[in-house]
Amino acid sequence: MVTLSKWRFSKWSEKLFGTPRLEPLVSFSFLFPIIYLVLFLIVPVLVMLGNAFDYNGHLSLYWFKSLTMRYYFNPLHPSGYLFKKTAEGVYYFYGWDFGVILNSIIVSLSVMGLTTLLGTIFAFVMARYDFPGKNIVRILLFVPLLVTPFVNIVIIQKMFSPGGLIDWIFYNKLHILPHPIWLDGLIGVIVAQTMTYYPMVYLNAYASFINIDPSLEEQAENLGSRGFHLFRTVTFPLALPGIAAGAVLVGIFSLEDLAAPIVFQGAPIARKLMSFQIYSAFTSPIGLIGTPQLSALALVMLGVSLVLFFSIRAYVGRKQYSMLSKGGRWNPRVSKPKWWQAIIIYLLVIPTILLTIFPQIGVVLLAFSKRWYSTWPQGFTLENIKAVVTQPGVTRVIMNSLTYSTAAIVIILILSLTSAYAVNRFRKAKLAPVLDSLSTIPIAVSGIVIAMSYFVFFSKVPPFKNIPSLNPLNLLKFNPAFLLILAYSIRRLPFAARSISAGMQQVHVSLEEAAINLGAKRWKAVTGILMPMIVLNVLGGAMLSFVYCMSETSVGITLGHMNPTYMPITAKMKELISSSVGSAHLAAGLGVFLMAIQIAAIVLANLITKQRTSFIGVT
Amino acid sequence: MVEVRLENIVKRFEGTTALKGISLRIHEGELFTLLGPSGCGKSTTLRIIAGLEFPDEGEIYFGGERVTYLPSNVRRAVMVFQNYALWPHMSVFDNIAYGLKLKKMPKEEIAKKVEWALELVKLKGFENRYPTQLSGGQQQRVAIARALVVEPRVLLLDEPLSNLDAKLRLEMRSEIRRIQRELGITVIYVTHDQEEAMAISDRIAVMNVGTVEQVGTPKEIYEEPKTEFVASFMGKTNVIPARVVDRAGDRVAVEFGSVRLDGLRYTGDSDEVVVVIRPERIRIAPGENTVSLRGKVDLVEYYGFFVEIIGIFDEHRIIARLMSDKGLEKFKPGSDITFYVDRDDIIVLPKQQI
Ligand SMILES: Nc1ncnc2c1ncn2[C@@H]1O[C@H](COP(=O)(O)OP(=O)(O)OP(=O)(O)O)[C@@H](O)[C@H]1O
Ligand SMILES: [Mg+2]
Repeated sequence: MVTLSKWRFSKWSEKLFGTPRLEPLVSFSFLFPIIYLVLFLIVPVLVMLGNAFDYNGHLSLYWFKSLTMRYYFNPLHPSGYLFKKTAEGVYYFYGWDFGVILNSIIVSLSVMGLTTLLGTIFAFVMARYDFPGKNIVRILLFVPLLVTPFVNIVIIQKMFSPGGLIDWIFYNKLHILPHPIWLDGLIGVIVAQTMTYYPMVYLNAYASFINIDPSLEEQAENLGSRGFHLFRTVTFPLALPGIAAGAVLVGIFSLEDLAAPIVFQGAPIARKLMSFQIYSAFTSPIGLIGTPQLSALALVMLGVSLVLFFSIRAYVGRKQYSMLSKGGRWNPRVSKPKWWQAIIIYLLVIPTILLTIFPQIGVVLLAFSKRWYSTWPQGFTLENIKAVVTQPGVTRVIMNSLTYSTAAIVIILILSLTSAYAVNRFRKAKLAPVLDSLSTIPIAVSGIVIAMSYFVFFSKVPPFKNIPSLNPLNLLKFNPAFLLILAYSIRRLPFAARSISAGMQQVHVSLEEAAINLGAKRWKAVTGILMPMIVLNVLGGAMLSFVYCMSETSVGITLGHMNPTYMPITAKMKELISSSVGSAHLAAGLGVFLMAIQIAAIVLANLITKQRTSFIGVT
Repeated sequence: MVEVRLENIVKRFEGTTALKGISLRIHEGELFTLLGPSGCGKSTTLRIIAGLEFPDEGEIYFGGERVTYLPSNVRRAVMVFQNYALWPHMSVFDNIAYGLKLKKMPKEEIAKKVEWALELVKLKGFENRYPTQLSGGQQQRVAIARALVVEPRVLLLDEPLSNLDAKLRLEMRSEIRRIQRELGITVIYVTHDQEEAMAISDRIAVMNVGTVEQVGTPKEIYEEPKTEFVASFMGKTNVIPARVVDRAGDRVAVEFGSVRLDGLRYTGDSDEVVVVIRPERIRIAPGENTVSLRGKVDLVEYYGFFVEIIGIFDEHRIIARLMSDKGLEKFKPGSDITFYVDRDDIIVLPKQQI
């Protein structure tokens, strides 16, 4: 017999956690991710940012004012030039310099614009036209998704250099270009980031086009709209929220990107970006990391990302109509292209797609070659691939990365399972919106800001600063493992969290309620009913997060590089591409290794999702 | 099997008060129905009885035991969900055995009980199927078997028939009634379909925006509605706003338009009233104690064994349901007609703010 007094009603438990009695599992699901994210994301960032207001020990805006110096902010008298003709007759593209802050914003906006253009066109063609060779193109479009830190940018730099692939095709062979071109500086950064990040828009736009209820377009056609008018007035507005979400993500990634500025840093203007400025302190004497001025700059960068992030969240939240799929299947509107559309597809769209996947192909070529001076690489070799498996300096970084990523994944799974469960199942709890925002915010906090704030936090704040292996100032004893695992677990949380949360939304809550109602404890209902039904989302999310942990750059090349014994793959790759001639080939070998892991993950994910349990009785 | 008692249950959600003080007493072994329009709080009441939701005020008793805050998993008030909530990754056997396994019952005993439950719902031989391989009606039987096998103190059914087609609905309706009689179990049944409620229930509670309007047997609810809402909710009926113009003891005369009806029973205070006349109580021939209404035919609708004549009486439309008969052909739209109703068949109720 159950005694009554045991089941008392707790008003504050209901308020905070949405359960009238304090349930350990539910309160843990709220508190663990909240405490973790506050402790290892919010507090470090705040501690670092506190720096920005500290001028000789008192509160001041001095450091923000210092950011209005020409070096940082120069809207009226830009130096530099868009392009010039060199003595050899090459058109050299470089970029205007409006100061660090404006440069970053301009690059970010340009990349957003260009990726939106490419991504939307590709997505529209793929979603709406049926043409011979489409399946091959579909597979090709997966290639740019493969992440190969630094080395793909090295290839892009080669493509757009004198004698590179672009000049070879368009100047030497096709004679379309009147002069050879050379993209460098900020223009190089913009092109490199566009080619790297456009799949983000493509995927979002494709999903949006596919999800538009065909009857909406049919109705418009029925009323006399067709062709571009139909696209402009119905199709595009319906897909816009999805496209915009992808574009904003790209904007944030561009702001925080380090790979392109690092590869293009030979042109001084490429260093004049916020992310690079913050990063460069890590390559100078250690005392310069996290100075108040850089903290202020980091705050500006964080501010721009957060503005982008929250405006898109508000916008997409308001305009979710394109996602209003009414359930049931419909015939997607796919048609055969007209003759002129076919010409555009085959002569413009597909060649552009081929160019955008060249970086990944180039990485493979680079990995299997001895030299690469002009258009094509020379001298086939397996040395670099062999080194990946045998050379101790290389296998060690692989082991390091595998270890950190595995540990991070365990944490990520706990974080995303608990937070998804808490937010999806206890929406009335006062903590639910808090946790919801907290768990998506890592998208907007750039890696380099995390790196810098961890540096400050773990070197200044007790008890951490007293633990030699955690304090980055303690050069000999410092082991970045713990900090890297923390950083990975937070930066890559959104991937798994999204997938798991989507899974939980698909499982009707009554399935768990039925179990509890039949006598199961909550723990039993979660592990016995909910978990088996979302296992595929968990696996998928875990693999995605794992893959992106392996290729994490910002924190890896900064904190992760402070003690070379413990550095991760990406730090090694950065070291290789910026050191002596020829070592880029080895970096490419590591890039191929990373690609192999990603392909394995994609194939595996596709295999297991083929056999989904379909959910019945969910109305 | 137990008596269920709700005392002044109040439940608030953000912005709305879903239940505004509900008191009910559901007798041991009866089939009790919560009936009301969408959003009136039926599911919320049921979920509170199941322990899936907790009231902000009020108490719930099972027999002598106060169970207001008793967790669902030890309450043994088992619910059959509207969407059945069968677990797609478990076979029919495992679905039904779930509650028994939680009790750590020996395997043979579980097998025996599951077999008993399957027999009860006439699904023997379906043990190894998965829910996706069952039809809607079969899925529902599994859901009922799963609930019954744990021997609940009270069985809760939330619109169990709403996902089934019309024919299956009738079939499952009598199935549920048969099982309830066989086991003598207390059942609380939720529906928004008044016909279904009448057919299946021992007693009905009619709910309206978070309150209980009336509790009674189907016959009482239908024939002696206590409020305008109940009267108008129970089937197609004539509810005509009127004024009391004369009182004599418990008899009154009322008027609407130029129509005056006298000698009607009414004891309320308010002079603003509604006159409720069931369509099937209207005749076209005078009787001993009848009042008459003179008007014109607006529409004649033919339904097979009965005919509905809609008459207009000073802008008030009144429906009469008459057995199909030879004499009715003469009524065409526009022709004169007189309706007769026995005074005791007319219900006068205070007008209600709905
Ligand atoms: N979890 C909830 N949060 C907020 N409001 C709720 C919640 N559940 C129910 N409500 C509100 O409480 C009221 C009663 O809802 P309830 O589901 O009990 O109605 P119902 O009578 O079962 O209706 P239906 O016939 O449509 O199922 C409604 O106004 C509903 O919007
Ligand atoms: Mg309901």
